[in-house]
Amino acid sequence: MANRTPKILVFSTEKISDPAIDLAGLLKLHYPPIVYTVEVPCSSAVKSKWILHAFDQGFDGVFIAADGTDCSYDESCTEKTAQIISQTHELMKEKGIPPEKLKMAAICSVCAESFVKQMNGFADQLSEQ
Amino acid sequence: MAMEEKNKIGVYICHCGSNISDYVDVEKVREEVAKIKHVSISKTTMFACADATQNEIVQDIQENDLDAIVVASCSPKLHLDTFKNVAERAGLNPYNYVQINIREQCSWAHSDKPVQATEKAIQLVKSGIARVGYSEALIKTKISAENVVVVIGAGVSGMRSAIELADLGSYVYLIEREYFVGGRVSQWGELFTTNETGKEIISRLYHKLMEYKNITLFTGAEIISSTGTVGNFDIQVKIRPRYIKPGCKVDPEKLQKVIDACPVEIPDVFNFNLTTCKAIYKNFESEFPEIPAIDPDHCTRCGECEKLCDDIDLGQQDEFVNIKAGAILINTGYDPYEPKTGEFGYKEIENVITLPQLKRLIELSGEELIYKNKKIQNIGYIYCVGSRQKDGENKYCSRYCCTSTIYTSIVIKNKYKNIHNYHFDKSIRTYGKLELLYREASENGDVFLQFWDEDPPVVSRNGNGTVVSIKDMLTNGKELEVDCDLVVLVTGMVPRQDNKIADILKAPIGRDKFFNEIHPKLRPVETVIDGVLISGACQGPKNISESLKSSLSAASKANSLVKKGEIELKPTIAFIDKNACVWCDECMKACPFDAIIKVQSNGKDVAEIVEAKCKGGGMCLPVCPENAINLKGYTDNEMEAMITALAD
Amino acid sequence: MEQQNELSFDTLVIGGGIAGSEAAINLANLNYKVILVEKDLSLGGKMIHLSKVFPTLDCAACITTPKVSETIRHPNITIYTYSEVKNIVKVSEKKFTATLVKKPRYVNEDLCTGCQECEDKCPVVVKDQFQYDLVGRKAVYVPFSIANPRVVNIDIENCILCGLCEKVCPVDAIDFTQEDVEIPLTVKSVIIATGFELFDPTQILRYGFGKFKNVVTAMQMERQLVPTRPYNSVLRPKDGKMPDNIAYILCTGSRDETVGNPICSQICCMYSVKQAQLLLGALPMADVSIYCMDIRAFGKGFCEFYQQAVGMGVEFHKGRVAKITEKENGNLILRYEDIEEGKIKEVEHDLVVLSIGVLPNPDAKLLFDSPVIESDEFNYVKQTDELLCPPDTNIKGVFVAGTSSGPMDIPDSILSAGAASACSANYIRN
Repeated sequence: MANRTPKILVFSTEKISDPAIDLAGLLKLHYPPIVYTVEVPCSSAVKSKWILHAFDQGFDGVFIAADGTDCSYDESCTEKTAQIISQTHELMKEKGIPPEKLKMAAICSVCAESFVKQMNGFADQLSEQ
Repeated sequence: MAMEEKNKIGVYICHCGSNISDYVDVEKVREEVAKIKHVSISKTTMFACADATQNEIVQDIQENDLDAIVVASCSPKLHLDTFKNVAERAGLNPYNYVQINIREQCSWAHSDKPVQATEKAIQLVKSGIARVGYSEALIKTKISAENVVVVIGAGVSGMRSAIELADLGSYVYLIEREYFVGGRVSQWGELFTTNETGKEIISRLYHKLMEYKNITLFTGAEIISSTGTVGNFDIQVKIRPRYIKPGCKVDPEKLQKVIDACPVEIPDVFNFNLTTCKAIYKNFESEFPEIPAIDPDHCTRCGECEKLCDDIDLGQQDEFVNIKAGAILINTGYDPYEPKTGEFGYKEIENVITLPQLKRLIELSGEELIYKNKKIQNIGYIYCVGSRQKDGENKYCSRYCCTSTIYTSIVIKNKYKNIHNYHFDKSIRTYGKLELLYREASENGDVFLQFWDEDPPVVSRNGNGTVVSIKDMLTNGKELEVDCDLVVLVTGMVPRQDNKIADILKAPIGRDKFFNEIHPKLRPVETVIDGVLISGACQGPKNISESLKSSLSAASKANSLVKKGEIELKPTIAFIDKNACVWCDECMKACPFDAIIKVQSNGKDVAEIVEAKCKGGGMCLPVCPENAINLKGYTDNEMEAMITALAD
Repeated sequence: MEQQNELSFDTLVIGGGIAGSEAAINLANLNYKVILVEKDLSLGGKMIHLSKVFPTLDCAACITTPKVSETIRHPNITIYTYSEVKNIVKVSEKKFTATLVKKPRYVNEDLCTGCQECEDKCPVVVKDQFQYDLVGRKAVYVPFSIANPRVVNIDIENCILCGLCEKVCPVDAIDFTQEDVEIPLTVKSVIIATGFELFDPTQILRYGFGKFKNVVTAMQMERQLVPTRPYNSVLRPKDGKMPDNIAYILCTGSRDETVGNPICSQICCMYSVKQAQLLLGALPMADVSIYCMDIRAFGKGFCEFYQQAVGMGVEFHKGRVAKITEKENGNLILRYEDIEEGKIKEVEHDLVVLSIGVLPNPDAKLLFDSPVIESDEFNYVKQTDELLCPPDTNIKGVFVAGTSSGPMDIPDSILSAGAASACSANYIRN
């Protein structure tokens, strides 16, 4: 897949990680423009089905910008999101998609810099593959 | 289960002045999306949010009978409601509208790559069109709301909020962690700009507070848990015993005897450890509530006090109270910055104290200002200790301290004879009318010296005395030494060190570690947690007047949330395909709100959503092995259509 | 003069800037009926004219316009623009009477669509006060692009009564027969949100404002930085050249006893720091220097914002500018004492921006017949219980919001408006 810029789909959360991604823009912190964000209420609401659909459609990486401990719905959000990841990793294995193409990290509502770092790192990692 | 697709979609792409159009070729975006089959109107606009554009959209919807609209502009956090209202005014269900963020997440984020930003914008708008194709008209549900507000912290700001809320007709629970009300302000003497004392202010508020039947005050109390959401919070409060019977009529002489009898002597935090106090205490005579308290952490239960007074009852236990409240207002204030040992000689050189200590020292002093048995004549004030730190964490300015210090120096000058004030500052920030105090201090003969960021003053011992050395900016870098009897570190405001309440309420904390508002101009007293509001210095450094403005503001916001007795909820809740459901209980276990129950349908057990309880978090979606659950507004159709459009 | 029947409301809000709008919306949301009176042609006050706002750098219009829209659409709010209030009398508790004067626009607001065909044809060109005289406008004109209401107005002072506008108007909205309309009002409470005025720098002769073309005010610079800016770039007025060495002179008309304003205006440091950042964005090759006594970056996020400007390369010089002289090429020589170095210096800049201060709006005082509203020593509305009830004035039932009581930034104005609306609601209720 050399020379092709990888495409990344990000699941962000309405109250926590999406504001951080907005903040990155506000601060003009640049990250690759091939990062596309889809907002959900909470990171533990992301269905494996959607992630697999993204890979099917040609996304190279999927990143869940999780609520982490800031989640306003549930304290166990991080565990639940991690559960989704491991469940999806199993399904990806069946389809022959390398597990490192799906990642998660908690992005707090002001973690703009950490989001940008994650995106730059993920894009680099995917283009090396 | 594909829903009926929309045939007439209107798409609006905003220039946002130049915020978007400087980097994204909005006309190109429009041309691209205009090619999509179901898009019947596509326009670019200078400001989508301007009233004229809003009216134009309304007109377009009505004249062309549009069945959905997409607005591509700034973050939905700013204008989602604006355009929902536009749709509603035009008679279009607001859920048949999708907002696409091409500013924060496109033009600004990729201002370095305008070509790619334009490509991304095209795909983002296409994904919005794809999503709205499957959108469903949703009706808002309403839940009951308790017209009860819990105000946390009975400092000046919390007490004022409580009074305002009670006046506006809400029932108020005012919860104070300490045994006495008044917070920081009760520790201060005369205050700028009215020269009232802190005690006077607090006593005015307390007496007013006592007039209300719809305010319940708990002192020595803390919130230990909170569940539920806006309109219906379930809050558990723990009230620690005071060990004094509530009916106690305080006899000052007897109280003094009891205090004298108490064998426990501890540093008095009310006086910032300048003095000591006993385990049974009352910080000052007119302190409220009127009865003293026994500090359970330090009391040894020796019983000496009980022997002298029948009103003491060391057998009192913790009490727990459950409160149902519609909204919560955090008013927990601040702590003064505590300098590190050795920071400008603090705790190493005996006559180095902090500004709060100085203020207490004035209150404790008589006709003369005496510290450690020495009469004070030369005072050096070192500013910005713990604020505007070059290397430390606290980058912010604490806002009140310049004025507070200057005001204190004026008070000292007026009260005591032969005082010389030396101010070692980083440039004085007496903003607005407070500038007059700065002028007054200068006219009083106070000396102002200024240091560079990278070259702070040094405090050192010099024989029996203490010397502050500075390279002074105002005399063109001259190295000066000033002998000081007292060195006062002007310590800033920091967030409360014990801030468990933030975790309990899951209230957001900002970069400066103070509580964070949603937006400083649009929603300055609200947090991202619906129904949890903030005011006063817990949101950031403020003086009293500024704190009060925010607490009054927050009180009316909280009241307007709950006063109607009902709150409209987002209709974006989960729904179950009962044919597919095989009842495995996974969804029920995943739901943190007990919003899923088992019911019988067509002769089998299936899951059902309790609509009033569902908060639309969506935790139940991924755990269903049959994929029988969808979230309104985030259905498989909508999500997958978006993803497909973005991948294209 | 035309007379109309009496109108009655819960609260009269005087001033339709950000503070007035915020107060009106809050009260309307608490279900009180509000009348909002704005003397200018559009709502939005000073804020609607700003570019971006410190310290978040979000665009001022993006915050103001939705607030204005919400105000206009709220069913509990009635708005009169280009109108004034006079003769306020407190009859008894919860009963104030006043006279509302609706000034003639010479245009029927209900008919006008803001199509601006008349503006196109109007032969008169005068200085545009909404662009702070940077460009011209017609005698019949929409005040500015995001004005609300967006209808035209005839500037009768400058109109030559040629009648062209009347001829071209597709909806026959032009009406030269209009005159002042007086409407009696009864309300239960009053909120003063009349805002502030800007210092007129022609008072400081040594800065040469008005004489030296390349000396501008910060508000003129602000207009050059907004998305709807007149030149679509930053240009210096004398020759239209892009400036590349810009100076800001802080405390112009503030902290200055010689002009009768000893207090600090509270916003100039930060708006100058903001403009400096925006200028570095708009003119990447330019140098920006700020001449100041202190930088008062005291609010939430301000200090960090100031540090950001330092990091971007904005130069800060501690010292007050004594005098400006103009060179033949329009450049300016600033003479100032560099305090850090203890030297008198002369430096050349090609554009000088005066960071003008805030002054009280004298209108507030003129509104009341009896009792009289008290002012403080600077002519701001006096706060009678500043510590415990900041919106209170000497008249019970009259509250003050925003900069009517003193210099304030936008977040503080909004909070004070929230406070005033709370106190007003309370006064009516109890």
